Amino acid sequence: MARRKFLLRFRPNIVSEPVTYLLVKDFGLIPNVLRASINDRGGKMVIEVDGKPSEIAAGMSFLETKGVEVQELMECVERDEGRCTHCGMCVSICPVEAFSVDKGTWKVSFDKERCIACGMCINACPPKAMQLM
Amino acid sequence: MRTYTEINERIRAGEAVILTAEEVIDVVRDKGVKRATEEVDVVTTGTFGAMCSSGAFLNFGHSEPPIRMQKAWLNDVPAYTGIASVDAYIGATEMADLDGAPYGGAHVIESLIAGEAVNLQALSAGTDCYPRKEIETSITLDALNQAYLYNPRNAYQNYSVATNSSNQTVFTYMGKLLPNYRNATFSTAGELSPLLNDPRMRTVGIGTRIFLGGGVGYVSWEGTQFRTTNETVNGVPVGGSRTIAVTGDMKGMSTEFVRALEFHRYGVSLAIGLGIPIPILDEDMMKSVSISNEDIMAPVFDYSMHTRDKKPLAQVSYAELRSGNIDLFGKRVRTSSTTSMPKSRLVAQQLKEWMEDGEFQLTELVAPMPSERGMLPLNVRSPKEVV
Ligand code: SF4
Ligand code: SF4
Repeated sequence: MARRKFLLRFRPNIVSEPVTYLLVKDFGLIPNVLRASINDRGGKMVIEVDGKPSEIAAGMSFLETKGVEVQELMECVERDEGRCTHCGMCVSICPVEAFSVDKGTWKVSFDKERCIACGMCINACPPKAMQLM
Repeated sequence: MRTYTEINERIRAGEAVILTAEEVIDVVRDKGVKRATEEVDVVTTGTFGAMCSSGAFLNFGHSEPPIRMQKAWLNDVPAYTGIASVDAYIGATEMADLDGAPYGGAHVIESLIAGEAVNLQALSAGTDCYPRKEIETSITLDALNQAYLYNPRNAYQNYSVATNSSNQTVFTYMGKLLPNYRNATFSTAGELSPLLNDPRMRTVGIGTRIFLGGGVGYVSWEGTQFRTTNETVNGVPVGGSRTIAVTGDMKGMSTEFVRALEFHRYGVSLAIGLGIPIPILDEDMMKSVSISNEDIMAPVFDYSMHTRDKKPLAQVSYAELRSGNIDLFGKRVRTSSTTSMPKSRLVAQQLKEWMEDGEFQLTELVAPMPSERGMLPLNVRSPKEVV
C-alpha cells in the first residue's frame, strides 16, 4: 500500500463525472479529498490516494485519458525565513493563496496549512526562500 | 526656503525633522503643503529590488612573485580583468560555468559582504615585470585593498508592469508570468521610491550622498538608459525613466540590503537596498515628496511579445498594483511585486535614523543630471550607414 497526493485540474466538460467514485470502483483506491473548488467553469481538487502503487498509477492515467490534468504533489514545501525578503513574487503564483500580504506592514505570510506543495512558487521566488523539504 | 547648510546644521544639532516619504503623505494631507514645508527638513526614500546593472571593482593586492591577471574567476564566476594587473570587475549577472543551481556574480558579492571566504583563481601569460602565470587562493572582503560597488544603473524612476498573454508560462527578469494573463508583476517602491519623489532630480545629482546596500554611497553619474522622454502624469513619468549610477564601499554594507537573486530561466541578479534623502528646500520639493501611490501610473506590457516596440496594454496606478490585483480587459489579474516594501521601508527608516543621530549629512549636488535625454535603439547597420 502507498499513499500519494495529487492536484487534479478539470475542464468544464468533465466536472460532472464522479471521479472519486470511479477511482474506488475501478481501481480499488481509497481517495480522500483534501481540498476542492469546482464549479461549472472547471476546477481543482487535491486528493490523497491510498492503494497499490500500480493501481495508483493506473488510476491517474485513467484520469488523464478523461482529460483531467494530474500533477503529483510533493511532500512539503517550507520557507527559509532568513532568505525571504517579503517581496511578494510568490503571492500571485500560488494556486491556493497560501501567501497573504499584510497591508499594514507589507509582510508576506506563508500559511503552511493551506499549502498543497504543488511547487509552483519554488522557481518563482528570486532569493530562493521557498524550498522543497 | 531652506538651504543645505541650514539643514545640515539642524542635523548636527539633532534638531532636524525627518520623515519618510510614506509618513510625509499624511502630514501634507492634514496640514497642507505650506505648513508641512515649514515643519519638515528632510524626507527619506528607499527601495529594495533587483538591480541587474550592478557589480563591484576589487583590488586583490600583489602576489609574490606578482601576476598580471588576464583571466580571473571568483568561486568559478568569471571576473573582468581587462584593466590593471590586479584590478577586476565582478558583474552581478555573470554566471559560473557549472552544473546545478545557477550561481553568479551576485552570489560572490553577497558572500564577500557576509565575510565569507571566496576562491580566487587567475591566469596570465606572464610578463617581464609580472612573471607569475597562475594563482589560486582564498580572499575575504577584509583582505582586499578596495572593494566597491559600481552600479551603472540603479533606482529606476518608475517601471513597467509585466504580464503574459500567451498560453505558456514565461520566465522573465520580471519573474514568472503565468499564461493567459493569470498574473502581473511590477517593481519600484511607488510612493517611497527615491526618484519618484524628486521627479525632475532637482536635489539628486552627481555627488549626492545616499544609502547603498546598508552603507554609505554616492551618486556617481547618470545611470545607463537615463531618459526623460516618457509621458508624465501627475508630475511623474509613466514607465522606466531616469536612473542613477552609484558607488559605495562594500566594507560598510550588509547582506540585509545586498542579496543575490535568481530569476528562473533568466539568470542571476542582485537585490540592493538604496535610499536617497530629499531636502525640503521649498514648497515645490514638498509637493514632489507628497506624491502617493494613487497618483503614480505604470504601463502594463505583454512580456510574451518578443519586440522592443511593445505597446502598453493599459495604465494602472501603484495603489491598484499594491491592492493585490488589477483589472485588465475586465479580468481580475493578481499582482506580485519584485520590490520588497518591508525592506524598502527599512532603508528609509535607517537613513532617517542616521540623520537623527547626526551621522549622515546632506550633500549639495556637484553637477545636475541631464534635463533632457532620449533613448537610442540598437539597429544592425554597416559602417557607412551608421556614421
Ligand atoms: S517570493 Fe520568496 S522572498 Fe518573495 S515573499 Fe515570497 S517567499 Fe518571500
Ligand atoms: S508549493 Fe507554493 S505555490 Fe504551491 S501551494 Fe504551496 S505555497 Fe502555494
